[in-house]
Amino acid sequence: MGRVLRLNLLGVSAVLTAFLFLFGCSSRGPQRPVLRVVMGLTEEEWSVMKTEVFPKFEQRYACRISAYQVEANDWIRKLEAMERAGRVEVDVFAQDNMRLYPLVAKDLVEDVSQYADLIPDEVPKALRGVGIFNGKLYFFPYRPNVQITFYNAEKFAEYGLNPPRDWDELLSVAKVFKEREGIGKVGLKLWGGSPTATQIYEMVISAGGEPFSFTDEGWRRTFRFLKELYPYLSPDSKRAKWDTTNIYLANGSFYLAQNWPFAIGVLVKTYHKDYIKAYAGWRGPVRPAHVVGGEVLGLPKGGEHRELALKFVKFMLSREVQTILLRRLGWPPVRTDVYAEVEDWQRPYFEAVKTALKDGVFRPNVLFWGEFEKLVNSAVTRILVKGEDVDGVLQECGEKMQEVMREAQTNGDG
Amino acid sequence: MGLVVRTAMRGMRLLGLLLVLGWVVFPVYLMVKISLSPPEAVLRPVPEIGLHRITLEHWRRLLSSGGLYPPLIKSLTVAGLTVLLSLLIGVPSAYAIARLPRNWSYRLSVAMFLSRMLPEVVIALPIAVIFIRLNLLDTVMGLVFAHTVKALPVACWLLIGVFRSIPRDLEEQASVDGATTWQILFRIVIPLSLGGIAVAGVFAYLLSWDEFTYAIYLCLAKPTLPLKVYYYVNRGDWFLTSAYAVVTTLPVIVLTYVLHLFLREDVFAGSLKE
Repeated sequence: MGRVLRLNLLGVSAVLTAFLFLFGCSSRGPQRPVLRVVMGLTEEEWSVMKTEVFPKFEQRYACRISAYQVEANDWIRKLEAMERAGRVEVDVFAQDNMRLYPLVAKDLVEDVSQYADLIPDEVPKALRGVGIFNGKLYFFPYRPNVQITFYNAEKFAEYGLNPPRDWDELLSVAKVFKEREGIGKVGLKLWGGSPTATQIYEMVISAGGEPFSFTDEGWRRTFRFLKELYPYLSPDSKRAKWDTTNIYLANGSFYLAQNWPFAIGVLVKTYHKDYIKAYAGWRGPVRPAHVVGGEVLGLPKGGEHRELALKFVKFMLSREVQTILLRRLGWPPVRTDVYAEVEDWQRPYFEAVKTALKDGVFRPNVLFWGEFEKLVNSAVTRILVKGEDVDGVLQECGEKMQEVMREAQTNGDG
Repeated sequence: MGLVVRTAMRGMRLLGLLLVLGWVVFPVYLMVKISLSPPEAVLRPVPEIGLHRITLEHWRRLLSSGGLYPPLIKSLTVAGLTVLLSLLIGVPSAYAIARLPRNWSYRLSVAMFLSRMLPEVVIALPIAVIFIRLNLLDTVMGLVFAHTVKALPVACWLLIGVFRSIPRDLEEQASVDGATTWQILFRIVIPLSLGGIAVAGVFAYLLSWDEFTYAIYLCLAKPTLPLKVYYYVNRGDWFLTSAYAVVTTLPVIVLTYVLHLFLREDVFAGSLKE
C-alpha cells in the first residue's frame, strides 16, 4: 500500500511540477510599456514590419511592440472570447475591411470618432468611409487594395492580342486562346465564397446593376454574358480563389485573370514570372468598376494602452511608414503623396493600381454579406455549371435576398 | 481451371490493394514531392509527377527560418502532456466504470461522449472564455486542458473495453490474497492492459497533435504546428506549406505504425462488448 501511495504522490508531484514550470514560462515582465498588435501578414511582410517599421516606433515612443499573427476571420472570434473573458490582451489590430461589421455589431471595438483628425488630409475621402458605421468612426483606413488584372504578356504578344478593355474584347480574347490552345486560358474566380462573390459583384456594378437586387437588368446582363463566356474559360476557373489564381497565372493555366496587388510580389518576386504584367482591367457595358478592399486599424474595447495605440495608428498612417510599405512590400499607399516614391520595377503595376482606384467601388459592410455570397455561388453553379435559365435562377435568388434583407432590417443588422 | 480462377482472384485482390494503396499514399507522396521540387517542376501546365529534379531549398528555408522549432516543441509538449493527463484521469475512471454493473457502465460510457456530440465550434467559445479568464491564454496548460476535453472520452471508452477483457477471477484471487483495490489496479490490471493503454495514449496524442479549433482560440503569440501549417496555407507558397505539412504528418505516420503494433481485437470493443 505504501508503495502505491508513494507512486501516486510521485505522479501527482510530477504533474504539479510540470504545471508550475509551464505557467512560470508563460509569465512576462515588461520594463517598458508593451503595445500588443494583431495583424495578418505573410512572412516577408512581418519581416519588414519587425525590422523596418516597428523599431522606429519603439525607439520614438520608448516602448516595445509585441506583434501577433491572426487571420481576419479568426480575429473576430478570438477577440470575442477575450472580451467575454474580460481579458483583452491586444491594444490595436489591423483587419480586412470586409470583416468589420461583426466587430461593430458585437460591440468589440472602440468608437474613435473623436480621433478622426488622426487621418491625414492626404488620405482620399473615398477611403475614409469604410471605417464609419452609423455615423461613427470605428476604424482608420491604413492599407487600400484594389483588384487589378494580370496577363501573360508573352502569350498575348505571341497571338497578337491586346489586354481586353471591355466585355466584348474579353470574350474575343477568350475565344482566340481557346481556339489556338485547345483549352480556355482566361480565368475567373469561380471556386465560391468571397472571391467569386466579389468578382460577380464587380461585374454587376459595371453592368449598371444594384448590389443586392439579383433581378435588375445589370444582373441579367452580367449572367447572360458569363453564360456566353463560360465555355471559353480555363477549366481551372472552377478552382480559382485569390491564392490559387496566382498559381494558375504562374503555371500557365491562366493567361488573364484579376487579383489583388499582393499577387505582384508573389508572381514576380517569389515565382520569378516577370513576363506577367498588369493593367487596371476591363470596363463593363455601363461603367468601369474595380472592387476596393484592404485593411483598417481598430482599437479593441478593453485594450490596456489606448494612448499608445492611437500614436501607433498615427505612425502607421505617416508618410514615412507608408513609403516603407510601398517600396519594400508593394502595398498601395493610403496617402496620395506617397505614390511618387514607387520603385522602377513596380511602376507599371502601380499605374494599374492607381487607374483602378479611380473607378474603385466598395463592397458594402453588411452582416448579410455571407448570405449574399451563398446566393451568388448558387447562381454561378446553377447558371454556368448546370446551364439553368438565367432569368429564372436570378428571380429565385432575388426573392431569397429580399427575405434575408428584410430579416436583417428587423434584427437591426442591415 | 481452379488454378486459373484462383490466380485471377489473387491478381484482382492485388490490383484492388494497389489501387487502395495508391489512393491513400499518392497525396502524401505529392506533399513530399512538392516540398522537394523546384518551382519550375510544379508550376507548369502539366506538373511533373516523378521526382526528376530535387531541391532542398524549401527545407533549408523551413529549417533556417526559426519558425519551425517553437511550434513543433509546443505541439510535442502539449500532445505529450495531454496523453499524460488523459491517462492519469482515464485509467482509474475507465477501470471504475468497467467494474460497474453493465447498465450503469453503459450509461456512463454514453454520457462521456456528450461533449463530443456537440459541434466543437459550439463548445469551443465558452470553454475558451473560461480558460482565458483563468489566465490560460497562450499557455501550454491551457491547450492541454482543452485537448483533454477531447481526448479523455475516447481514451476512457477504449480503456473500458480493455479492462473488461481482463477476467474478474484474477482480481478476486488477488483480493483473497489481501491486495487492495489500488494494488489490484497497479499490479495486475495495468500490467495486463499495457497494450490497450498504449493505444489509448496514442489516440490521445493524435487527437491533440492535429487539434485546431481550441488552438485558434487559445494561442496568440505562440502557435502550435497545425496553426503554423494553416498560416502557410493562407499566407505562404505551396512549397513551404508542403514542407510544414510533411513535418506535421511524420509523427502521425510513425504513431499510426506504433498503434498498429499494439492493436488487439478487444481494444475497440469498448464498453458495449458482451
